[in-house]
Amino acid sequence: MSTPQPLHLHASRDDRRIAALAALAIAIHVIEAALPSPLPGIKPGLANVITLVVLVQYGWADAAWVSLLRVFAGSLLIGSFMTPTFALSLAGACSSLMMLALAWRLNPLLPGQGLGAVGFGVLASMAHIGGQLIIARLLFIPHDGLFHLLPVLMTAAVLFGIVSGIISQSILIKLHQD
Amino acid sequence: MIKTINSPGLFTKADIVIICAALLVLPLLYTQFWGNGSQGEIARVQVAGHEPLQIPLQRSQRYTIKGPLGASIIEVDEGRIRFVSSPCRNKLCIHSGWLQHDADFAACLPNLISITVSGRNPRFDSINF
Repeated sequence: MSTPQPLHLHASRDDRRIAALAALAIAIHVIEAALPSPLPGIKPGLANVITLVVLVQYGWADAAWVSLLRVFAGSLLIGSFMTPTFALSLAGACSSLMMLALAWRLNPLLPGQGLGAVGFGVLASMAHIGGQLIIARLLFIPHDGLFHLLPVLMTAAVLFGIVSGIISQSILIKLHQD
Repeated sequence: MIKTINSPGLFTKADIVIICAALLVLPLLYTQFWGNGSQGEIARVQVAGHEPLQIPLQRSQRYTIKGPLGASIIEVDEGRIRFVSSPCRNKLCIHSGWLQHDADFAACLPNLISITVSGRNPRFDSINF
């Protein structure tokens, strides 16, 4: 009778890279959670800077990994795992990833240079808040009055989408200078 | 898999198009969702246990409504209505301010008086509290 061989999981180079980038995103996520927000429901979402950089640099699949790892691990660290906050966070991440998947697919068809980080950022943050509102309507506040908030939240989304897009693009430009 | 960066600048042409489109959508959203529903046409003032009073909002006027605690004064001013005074302790009814849209509501619970505004096309079939 032979003893069963221990199972070794080998982390590939890609795994390590995704883990490192996700760790970076999680750190930003946690720091941002500690900052007070002027308005409930509105926050800059700076962790998505990492998602955008990863998207442009390594493609959609890596961005999806980083984004979802951040949502799960970030909520575990903050203590919001499986709470409504977590559900909304996940809804936002999933809908913005779906939007990015579409944009990423269609991007090569665009004339010229196509979308940069700013374009992706705006699309993602708008999809993010849209998905969150729909999930909030379905699960938590079953009343159409919720949609009165849509214009204000969307304004914040566009603004923060542009800001995080600009930050991402600056990082990408820096990365490619070296 | 390393992709080369799309653009040397901060924005590509497509980025600008996306930003402009987003900025065009925002005013649309404000006109579509931000409004508080239709203008109210009449207010129904109810003292518990009595027939509701229908007050048109077009005519500016003051009404004195008798409740169990005493008289509450209600003011109508060009399409809006509010509690001006009420013999209650917390004055929540007065702090509710002007009511002018369909389904707006204020009540003075101690004095058992409530105001419900309704418009031409009511947004709700019924409201329960």
